[in-house]
Formats: sequence, C-alpha cells, structure tokens
Amino acid sequence: MFKFNFKPFVITLFSLSLPTLGHAKIDLVTLPNRDQVQLTIYNAADLTLVREQRTLTLTQGLNRLEFSWAGTLIDPTSVQLEAPQHSDQVKLLEVSYPPNITGSALWKIDSKIAGEIPVEITFFTSGLSWQSVYMATLSSDEKTMQLENYVRVDNNSGEDYAPAQTRVVVGKIQLLDEIAELARRQPPYGMPSGALLLGGETLVAKGGLEEDSKMKLQSRRAEVFDAVTALSAKEIVKEGLSEYFLYTIEGTETILNGWGKRLRSFAATDIPIRTWYRYDEQRYGSNGPQQFLFFNNDETHHLGKTPLPDGNVTVYRQLPEHQHLTYIGEVYTQYIPIEQEVELNLGQTQQVKVAPVLMNYHTENYLFDQKGYVSGFDRVQHWQLKLANYRNLPANLEIFQHFPHAYWNIDQATDFTGQFEKVDLDTVKYTLTLPPQTKEYLLNYTLTLFEGERQVQVH
Amino acid sequence: MKRHTYVLTYLIFSLLLPAPAAWARIKLVALPEREATVVRLDNPAATLLEEERVLTLQTGINQIDFAWKGVQIRPNSIRLTILEQPAPVTLLTVSYPAAEPESLGWEIASPSGQQIRVRISYLLNNIDRLVTYQAIVRKDETALNLASFLVLRNFSGENLPSSRFQLDYGEAFDSEILTGETKRMQFFAATDLPIKKHFTFDAAILPWDPKQVGDNVGIPVHYELQNTTDQGLGQHALWEGKTRLYSDDGHHSTIFLGEDQAEFTPVGQPLKLTIGDSREVVVTQRQMGQQRLNERRNQKGNDVVLYDSEESMQVEIENFKEQVAVVTLKEPMPEEWEMKESSHPHKREHNQQIIFEVEIPAKQKTVVNYSYYRRNVRPVN
Repeated sequence: MFKFNFKPFVITLFSLSLPTLGHAKIDLVTLPNRDQVQLTIYNAADLTLVREQRTLTLTQGLNRLEFSWAGTLIDPTSVQLEAPQHSDQVKLLEVSYPPNITGSALWKIDSKIAGEIPVEITFFTSGLSWQSVYMATLSSDEKTMQLENYVRVDNNSGEDYAPAQTRVVVGKIQLLDEIAELARRQPPYGMPSGALLLGGETLVAKGGLEEDSKMKLQSRRAEVFDAVTALSAKEIVKEGLSEYFLYTIEGTETILNGWGKRLRSFAATDIPIRTWYRYDEQRYGSNGPQQFLFFNNDETHHLGKTPLPDGNVTVYRQLPEHQHLTYIGEVYTQYIPIEQEVELNLGQTQQVKVAPVLMNYHTENYLFDQKGYVSGFDRVQHWQLKLANYRNLPANLEIFQHFPHAYWNIDQATDFTGQFEKVDLDTVKYTLTLPPQTKEYLLNYTLTLFEGERQVQVH
Repeated sequence: MKRHTYVLTYLIFSLLLPAPAAWARIKLVALPEREATVVRLDNPAATLLEEERVLTLQTGINQIDFAWKGVQIRPNSIRLTILEQPAPVTLLTVSYPAAEPESLGWEIASPSGQQIRVRISYLLNNIDRLVTYQAIVRKDETALNLASFLVLRNFSGENLPSSRFQLDYGEAFDSEILTGETKRMQFFAATDLPIKKHFTFDAAILPWDPKQVGDNVGIPVHYELQNTTDQGLGQHALWEGKTRLYSDDGHHSTIFLGEDQAEFTPVGQPLKLTIGDSREVVVTQRQMGQQRLNERRNQKGNDVVLYDSEESMQVEIENFKEQVAVVTLKEPMPEEWEMKESSHPHKREHNQQIIFEVEIPAKQKTVVNYSYYRRNVRPVN
C-alpha cells in the first residue's frame, strides 16, 4: 500500500479479476512516488487545484485503483485521472464509492497497454490560501512612491506539502459548493432527495488515514529556513488566462502545515502619485475630507505589467532624516486591471478642512393654482464652503455636493478659479487646489431648487 | 452485503378441492433467478425497475408471493405483465397480507401445467442519477471539450447486479450497483465545441457606480455553446447538472475557471455556463437627466393628475482586457415607455427590459447613451 508523501490519501492498485459485486483485492501493486506536484491556489474561494504526475504500473485489461481521502480536505467528486501520453489507450471507466465505507473509492481503469504509464491525478482540496499584501512608501514631498507587492501563501490544510510547483490565481471564481463542505459530505454525491439511510446500512469508516510522518520541529524549521533563503532569487511569472491572472512561483516550494510563506511579487520605484482630498458627505459623512492616493497601473507609472491583485496596502512616508518612516495608514485595495487608475482611500484627515455652511435662504417665484394654493416655488440657498489646508504641501481637493432632485441651477461666485462639473442629474463636483497653510478659503455658490410646477415651467 | 434484498417466492396451490377456503400451501418452489433487469432512469422523479422471471405454474390457481422487506419499493406501483404463456393464464387477484406490509400476493389461474415468462415492474425510491459535466476550455476561449458523467446513487436497499440501465437518450448500458453505493462513469465526450464568451451587466441587480462600492463590481461572464449538430452536439438534450470548467493554461496543465449548474438544454438550444465575475470590464451607469413633460390637470386645474417625463441614461463601459469584450447591457424600463433616442441599437427583451449588445474593443471605452419618455405617470399623493 502506498501513501502519498504530500497528501495522506491512500492509493492501492490491484488488477481486476472479479467483475462482479464482490470486489477482491489481489495482485496488490505498490505505486512509485509521485513525479511532480502542482498546487494552484485561489484566493477568492477556499480552493486549491492539486495536480500530480505519477507513474502507474498497469496490466493490460481492467485495473482497479483504490484511493482513500478520509481525514483530508479533498473533494472526492473532483478527483480525476488521465494519462495524457496514452489518452486513447488508458481510460478511467468508472469510479465507485462502495457502501459501508467512508472516504474511499475504487477506480476502474481500462488499459490497452501494460507497463509503467505516466498519469495525472487532479483534485480539489481546501485549507490552503494566499493573499496579496503591499507596502507603499511615499517620498517626503509625496510626489512619488515606492510600491512592493508580496504573495503570501498559508497552509492550514492539516497537511505538509513537499516540494511542489506553486501557482496562485487572481480572480473571482464562481463555486456552487464549498470544497470543505464537499470534503465532509458522505456519501460524496449526497443522497437521492428524500432518502434516508436504511437500517443495517450504517456506513462504517474503513481503515482510514495513515498518520503522516512526524517530523521533528527542529528539522521543520531547518526546512523552512532553507526555503526562505532560496526566496531571494525566485521570480513570479504572471500571465492572463480568461478572467484570471496566474502567478507561477519559480521552482518548487515546501509549505508545512501551519506555516506561511511570503514572496515578493514585484517592486516599483519612483511611481508618480497624486494626493487628493475628497469631501462627499453622502459617502463619508460630514466630519471632514478623506485623503486619497491616485496613480495608474500603467507604464508611465512604472507599473502596468500585470493587474494589481486586491490586498492590504500599508502606507508609509519617508522622512527626510536618516531614512526614518512615518506611518500614514492601511487600506484594502480592490483588484486593479492594467491601465486602470488606482484610488487608495487613506481615511479621514484633520489636516484639510471642508465645512459647508448655509449662509442665507429664501423662497421666491411662487405659483398658485386656481384655488389659490401654492403649486410651485423656488428655494434659493447661498452656500459657503469653508476650506482650509494646514499642511506644508498643497492640497488638491474635490468636493461632491448632492441635491434632493434633478431640478436645480447653480450660480458660481465670480472669484472661483477652480473647476465645476455636473456628475449626474443631482450631483456636482468642485475641484481646486489649496496652497500650503491656507487658513481659510471661502467657496461661495448659490443653489436654486425648483419645486412643484416650477420644475415644468423652468425646463 | 445483500445479494437479494427482496424475496420472490411463489407458492403453487393446485385447486384439487372445490372449496377455496381450504387452500393450503402444498409446495414451495425454488426462487427463480431474475433475468433481464432493466433500470429506467429516464424520469428524474422516479426510477422504474423492470425484471423478468420464468414461473412454473401448475393447473389451477397459483399463488405467488412477492416480498420486499427493507427495499424502498412503492407498493402501489407494482405490476405484473405476462410476456409469454403457452396457454392463456388469468391474473385473478392481488392481495396485501396484513401481517407482512412489505409484500403482496398474486393469484394466477392456469389451465395447465406450464412455464410462463412475466415482467415485474415497480418504482423504486432512493435510487437516482445525477449528471455532471467537465469542460476544458481552449486557451484562446474559442472552443471547449465537454465530457459528461453519469452518477448513479443507489440507497434503495436493493442490490442490482448485472442490470441494464436505460436513460432517456443514448444507448442502454450494463452495469451493477450495490445498495449504498455511488458510481460515476463517463457518459459522453465531445471535442472542439465552438463557444462564445459574454459579459452581462444587469442594471437592475448590479451597482451603477463601482467607485461607490469600495470593491470591484464583478461583471458575470459566461460561455455559450449550441446544442446543435453543426456545433458538435445536437444528438440529444443535455440534462441539468453541475459543470466544472477548466482552462488549458498552455503549459500542459489547467486552471479551474469556475462551476455552474447547467440547465436542461433541448436540442437546438444554447447552453450558458457562467464561470465567475470579470474585473477587467468596468461598467459605470448614471442617470444624467430627468424632465417632466405634458402635465395634465384635473377639471378644476388644481392638481396635476398625469404627466410624462424624459429620462436620460449614460452607461460607460471600460474594457481593460487585451481582447474584444462582448457586453450585454440589461436595462430596466418602466411600465409605459417610449424610446426617444439611443446611441446604440437595442432590442426589447420584454416590456420592462431592453438589451444592448455592445462590442468593446480591447483596451477601449464605449459610452452608451439613451433617453426615453416615461409615459402617463400618476403623481403619488
């Protein structure tokens, strides 16, 4: 009986001599070690696609292969076997999940050839995950930034993974069932609707999982250390596939259970950035503007080779003295395709102020219906946005204002030098730059809201 | 392991005395082997089992007991069909013994001693089949290889050795399955099936402004293939079933793209398989205008009782991919409306939904503008 080194499901092979219900294990064949293992880890779901290459010794005719996944996090319905080099000669005819046995199945393989046949076994497992983390370091003048991106792989699958080619997938995948749930489901494809297990049909676990070899902690540490020292030279190759991006880590990785590994995906320096402050009461409340960092995921910004995966960004700023840093904030960034603008919200700031104040209000242009009731009028509001910038750097500011409906008009103050833009039917945006240490800047405008029949009359 | 979980016995009573009440079991005949067992899985609601037996009858009335203890047979579904009879026999009664609820007895009158062939049919609970699919998509996403698997699940309490399984299409096949067993076998495979890739933005479901959401708004992506002969399928309907899609990665391996529940697809119909959400296509929708028109008042002229409005929409679609993206915009409409103008052709899916099919070139942005009249709006008091 063979046991996978990297995965504790058990495979035994025996030729099929009895084609009837009474399965007999004869001519037990020990499988050789795996030739290669590949892990493809997803981050949008608890899912890893495992592909292993192994050489089976098959007899001509029908062969039976038994595999057991008890105690693992493998989805048994996902297990497939193929012989890519002999696809016309070796076929997996049938997979049987026998009664009274949990965590085990029998494969019936038809082989037209005898001898050592390379096969690929694929399956889904859960418990492995990866995430993308960033470190951003702004220059002292906040005009440029250094950005480093890391891929962190964590193994909480309960199993050690011997050297395996490791790939991670960026993308939102659709799953109908959780893999961890499928790994626990018994029987593997569930029961017919409304079915109950019959008396006497109690399912009994067979044999079960062989215990994994218990490595001493010291040797585990040594193994991890060896792997870490090798990281410096590793590259991560990236390529697009359908709606996903595939990151392939150079060489192989050993990831022990309970351990995580972080590898640098890329680093870019001198990325031109724009620091903006945004005030939008509807989205962020009235406490003050939010500080944003903007840059583009393109060549101009020394990026643009791959999308930026979603992940946590820790932002620092370089201090002029002795390469010290100051912590700016931490933010979770969404996935950024190539050439899209990146918008990092660093949170509320006290260094820039926006305070809208209603300075005057009156109504006018009343309309009356035939009974003498009011049927329309205008609300005229004089707003003053009190702005300030307490920083030693200029502050670029955008202010969104929302109105209660689509029937309005704005008169700007003549001294306003910034930009004004209608965003949609009831939203406008002001854009301006406040010089450093601006104690107060007043942005005035008059908003007229047309109510009732004035909405028809004006338009 | 139960080789036979139900028992068919037939006890033959020759009617030697004229008083039926005095019948007594006089002979127990060995259980005949069942033959030609057919499991019909053509109706997902119930599985029909048909089996043939050769019965040796004696002259007079013969009683055949049929018991199915521990087997999930629907008692009222059991029927007996006489297939071959040298001399005509008559099925007299079917009785259900009080002491044995999971049994029945047939009384057959035979004019002579003879062997007859019968078929016993019944519906069996807790045995069914699932269909699953596995698709390997070509790296350029123009075609896929499709394999279909049949999963038999038998928890009926009855072992089925050497049976013939019949689906609602395709050829019947021989297999065996124990009670408590699940089996998966490949059902069919088809290669190089042409596919088309679609992105769908449903404005009634998805957020209009992704920047307001704070996370990516994924645009659902699906492949569409045709269940037709000229497209490599079309031999039969495709059953519903879980479909797992993989993509050839160009390095002799695959990545998993996602899974979907394929819907039942008759011949000639398209099969849509959603894999997940795209974050490479970004849709931002805004309402840019609303204007009240044609106000109509009551007789006194006091109140507006009816009006129209003109609504203007702007949908910006950005394609960050290096390939053309075919995007379907599903736009909700009010009950009464009339299109004023639109920048792109649209079609009316139903009264309250219009659809734009827009091809966005690689790395390009397209803006769809349309405006419509909303007719006969009654003010809410």
